[in-house]
Amino acid sequence: MENIAELSIAVEPLTSDITIADVGDLFLQPAYDRFLSLPVVRDGEPLGVISRYHVQRILMGRYGRELQGAKAVKHFMNNSPLLVSVDRPVEEASHHITRNIAFPITEDFIITDGGNYHGVGFVINLLRGLEDKLITKNKSLAQSFSQLQASQSQLVQSEKMASLGQMVAGVAHEINTPLGYVHNNVEMARAAYDQLATLNEKYEQLISMLQSPDLDERAMQTQFSEIQEMREEFSNTFQHDEMRGLFSDTLYGLGQISDIVSNLKNFSRLDQAMVSNIDLNQCVDSTLVIANNLIKHKVEVIRDLGVLPKVRCAPSQINQVLLNLITNAVHAIEDRGRIMISTFSDGQFVHIIIRDSGKGIPAENLSKIFDPFFTTKPIGEGTGLGLSITFKIIRDHQGYIRVKSRVGKGTAFCVSLPIAEQP
Amino acid sequence: MIDMITPPVKPARPMQNADLRPTLLFVDDEERILRSLRMLFAANFRVLVTTDGHEALEILKREKVHALISDQRMPLMSGVDLLRQARDIAPDTMRLLLTGYSDIEAIIGSINDGEVFRYINKPWNADEIRAIVGEAANIAMSLGQMLAKPLEQSAKEIRGILLVDDSAEIANNLREYIDDSFPGAFHLEWANTLNDAMAFLETRKLSVIISDINVGRDDMTPFIKTLKHFHPHIVTIVLTNFRDTSLLVELINQGQIHRFLPKPMRKSMVLRGIQSGMVLADEIRLRPAAKQRHKVETPKNIPDAGIISRIRGLFRSASKS
Repeated sequence: MENIAELSIAVEPLTSDITIADVGDLFLQPAYDRFLSLPVVRDGEPLGVISRYHVQRILMGRYGRELQGAKAVKHFMNNSPLLVSVDRPVEEASHHITRNIAFPITEDFIITDGGNYHGVGFVINLLRGLEDKLITKNKSLAQSFSQLQASQSQLVQSEKMASLGQMVAGVAHEINTPLGYVHNNVEMARAAYDQLATLNEKYEQLISMLQSPDLDERAMQTQFSEIQEMREEFSNTFQHDEMRGLFSDTLYGLGQISDIVSNLKNFSRLDQAMVSNIDLNQCVDSTLVIANNLIKHKVEVIRDLGVLPKVRCAPSQINQVLLNLITNAVHAIEDRGRIMISTFSDGQFVHIIIRDSGKGIPAENLSKIFDPFFTTKPIGEGTGLGLSITFKIIRDHQGYIRVKSRVGKGTAFCVSLPIAEQP
Repeated sequence: MIDMITPPVKPARPMQNADLRPTLLFVDDEERILRSLRMLFAANFRVLVTTDGHEALEILKREKVHALISDQRMPLMSGVDLLRQARDIAPDTMRLLLTGYSDIEAIIGSINDGEVFRYINKPWNADEIRAIVGEAANIAMSLGQMLAKPLEQSAKEIRGILLVDDSAEIANNLREYIDDSFPGAFHLEWANTLNDAMAFLETRKLSVIISDINVGRDDMTPFIKTLKHFHPHIVTIVLTNFRDTSLLVELINQGQIHRFLPKPMRKSMVLRGIQSGMVLADEIRLRPAAKQRHKVETPKNIPDAGIISRIRGLFRSASKS
């Protein structure tokens, strides 16, 4: 329902000269049952309304019918009826009516069209119209709200993907280095083995020559020099200590790759949701491995990890928080610098402090850093969601996060999480 | 019996003729990488290794190195930094980048600053890296000290530049830049389709081609690669806003592009690119052997065989004229 027109009830209006007694009779007819009042109109112009209540009071008074019944309605009617133009929107009309209607409600209102009488409107219908409107509005509000929620979670997801993407690129490089020499070493080992296998074959042939009753000396001589040549070639290409080094390097490289992979697994913890009893020091360590590519060559990390009681938390979320804070710390450091990570417990909370020697956050920005979309990075480089997600995760864990910063000196974030209650 | 099986004594492999083998210098911050590579190449090359770019530069000052193979991400000096300085210190040394991190800025740097012969990804394939590094070292061996000698300037002729781009604005701006900075020195042609570009190649003598990756509906990558394969004396500069790491690596290894310039076009960058491209084109014209330094891998992913035969035909007619 857009405007008041739909509420308009086209009832034949009264002339100004109709008698009160006649009006009283009209009100008694079933067709007029629903009306609180009837409009009085002359030449299309609404003059007033006469209410059922008023007519009853007149006629039921002592000798009312006899004294007043023959008088014209115009002497009794309300000369300033509530008028609402037909094209007024429902909200506007109801605003006008609730402001101006007399209490208790004894009259309907008149709907006009270009100043002329159009019909009668019931207050109750207006209420229903308003209610319908409210319901529709609520529905669309609820819809926008769920859309907002969806796009918020999409944004959170895209922030997650963006930092994940950076992380994956870094980890890929971390793995590619050991993979490079491991791969190469294994290929060389295979080449060495191929040579050794051929050499072994030659030796076997030599042995069977030696064992055979009719020893062909010249063939054996050839065999021997072939073996000698191969042995030389082999030891020129593959020296013993080099070969040994090659194998220990290979094992070292494989160890590094499996370290990275198991830390990745620890880091994502996709197999676990909310888990109790997590040692946050482990979270710090696996996050540092994941962020290593970002950190090394640029930042010296000092770890000062105390003995911590277990904390009930979702480790993948806490890792996300730590990665976010460590990444921010690295980004805050312009050339080279230091990040100090300390953890300790006060019996109620576990605290993780991440302190960097970066450029610091100006005071005017400090209050905004947890706001969604606040970023000082150029467009396209930061979503401005990292810290707001961090804040939300910490709050969901009943913890809190505090920040202290001095421009030119550095920034410290302190994450505090409540210790798991002992059952 | 014992005497009988004593083998004939052969002289040990003469290690003193190590001087005759090409010298390789590997730079990587991971010692295990260096050990592994040293073993892979030790049989056929004199292999030097270091984890420090500064030391690498000292080695290049001190002795002849045929190929320098560097990692990109290193704590003391980045690979691109090292290669750029190596260009000045030892211009005849072939430069290669061996890296496990596809950072687009590093790849662009390896083109524009490092002018690398090949970009090799970690983990590498032993046979492939042997072939690539071997080829680079052989080229440097065969050319000797060529670039270190100054070029005798020949009489200047007006040299042709072809711009392949679908934007008239770029064409107008470039013409303006060139007229402004090098009046009368270059003749600029503009093609806005692959077909037009081919037509210019068939009728004009060109020194430098400046091309986008996508021109109209044409993908110019096969053109760039095939042209370099058959026409190494034409210097290519890519001017584009397209950024893709694997494509760039292809354009290095199979296209030997001289410069990669980002759009929007910047006057100083494009003019410097043209200038150094012309120097290179002169170099190759006056010392044709130098084009070996820009030998490409056999182009892969060429969908349209027509381009190959057309460009090859062009090569024949060009060599006749």
